[in-house]
Amino acid sequence: MQHVTQPVEELERLALHARRLIIEVAHKSGSGHVGCSLSCVDILTALYFHEMTISADDWGNRDLFIMSKAHAAMSLYTILKLKGLIQDSTFWGFYQDGGTLPTHLDRFSAKGIEASTGSLGHGFNMGLGLAYGIKLRGEQRRVFVLIGDGEAQEGSIWEGALFGARLGISNFTAIMDRNNLQGYGRPSEICYFEPIEEKWKAFGWETCRVNGHDFKQILRALATPHNGNPKIIIADTVKGKGVSFMENEMKWHYFIVTDELKARALEDLRR
Amino acid sequence: MRASVVKQVLAHAEQDDRVLLITGDAGYGVLDEFREKFPDRFLNLGVAEQNTISFAAGLALVGFKVYVYNIIPFLLYRCYEQVRNDVCYQKLPITLIGIGSGVTYAPQGVTHYSVEDVAIARTLPNLVIMSPSDPVEAAACARYARSLDRPVYIRIAKSGEPNIQAGVPKDISKPQVIRAGSEVAVLFHGSVGIEVVRAVQECAGNPLMISMPILQPIDFKSLLEMLDGVGTLISVEENYLDGGLGSILAEWLVRDDLPFKLIKLGIRNEFIHAVRNNQGMRCLYGCASDNILRCLEKVLHNE
Repeated sequence: MQHVTQPVEELERLALHARRLIIEVAHKSGSGHVGCSLSCVDILTALYFHEMTISADDWGNRDLFIMSKAHAAMSLYTILKLKGLIQDSTFWGFYQDGGTLPTHLDRFSAKGIEASTGSLGHGFNMGLGLAYGIKLRGEQRRVFVLIGDGEAQEGSIWEGALFGARLGISNFTAIMDRNNLQGYGRPSEICYFEPIEEKWKAFGWETCRVNGHDFKQILRALATPHNGNPKIIIADTVKGKGVSFMENEMKWHYFIVTDELKARALEDLRR
Repeated sequence: MRASVVKQVLAHAEQDDRVLLITGDAGYGVLDEFREKFPDRFLNLGVAEQNTISFAAGLALVGFKVYVYNIIPFLLYRCYEQVRNDVCYQKLPITLIGIGSGVTYAPQGVTHYSVEDVAIARTLPNLVIMSPSDPVEAAACARYARSLDRPVYIRIAKSGEPNIQAGVPKDISKPQVIRAGSEVAVLFHGSVGIEVVRAVQECAGNPLMISMPILQPIDFKSLLEMLDGVGTLISVEENYLDGGLGSILAEWLVRDDLPFKLIKLGIRNEFIHAVRNNQGMRCLYGCASDNILRCLEKVLHNE
């Protein structure tokens, strides 16, 4: 199968388009979780339109992505729609009475949802199992998992971290959406969060830290060798990225996009 | 029972290279043969119950048939949400083999008992719950689990349980008539079944004896047919009185408006502080053969 990569300019264009779609679907559905969906758009765009091998024509050989911080499912649905894996009608039914896409992920709801996630600290560990299983089968497929920085307070994440490096799963990459805002505070203030990269390094992981909105940095981090280990990329991001009045605001974990705010947000995303 | 189940897992692994066995640091002496025969398909994921279950789900998502082996509290309680979301919600072919059912491990303390596992497991849709009464049923349950290709929880005791079944059960998915009878039926599950056998042997009447190796879903139609000529049901289990087989039967009687009288024997819903061995606990909580016999006689004498 031909693996299609995109130049950085095209990725930036796609990510902007995805952000506009997120605002529109959030407005239509009245769903919250807008800020945390916007912080990871660039990461997902880089994965689905550059790094991952994924095509409906060769489904059995695709790379796998698990959205462990599934409250940002809106972002994944949007990318899957842009990728042509989720139908328009399905997409616009998100979080609607009688629709098929819930706020958190249900693997039976649509093609491309690899695992049912929502409660934090599950998807990461399922991803480890997937990667190990793929390795056992002698396949070349890879597994990517997105976790949140709030999510990284779950004990299960550290259980997995402790085991991951022992499994020889160089086909596994976790990306931490380090937007430094969780449900009711900032990770750096709630717990002794930093230095986070060093913690993972001490657990035997390949690590790197990037600006999670800079495609050149994201792509370079995804391309760094695993050296036989699982890898984690700490991606520093901004919650609400791209919409001035949402950026770095805790309330945009919860607030909904009204008619007026939609117009203002789309104005910000015109470029 | 442990050995019977593990033998079936070995047989499954020999025939299907997608079979993996995971333990959460339990199984010393029990899983050795599997580990030696299939070193690449055996994983000890250590004392990390949440990771163990999610990891197993990941393996199942990519096509493996996974068995997870642990002491029940560390298979079902510590990681309940992983079993709920990752295994059952996703309907994956994972068989959870739980050891130390009821108060098997007495007097190790409450942390190591599993007297509420049936109640907890019953909250999980898609999960088949098995509680074999002897090694023969345990083996049959393991074979049945393999054929189901969906989430299964098998609760077993440990080793050395005597056989109750005379031969290999014809259809383990149904309630098992261990001894034909009438008027009163004793229904039970798990290793406490031997107490029922002993009580019935001493009993002057002719009680019907039914082992219930499958607790979810129960074939109630078959059960009702088996209960022809019976007026009173006695449930016996090494599980809390509320939430286990007794509760399942009570719900059934109400739901289907059935005229049976029901007496529940089992463990009172309380934290156990008593230091007794397995047999001592059964006596203390009223599910030993003497208690069952007294209960039977009361019913038979209309007391």
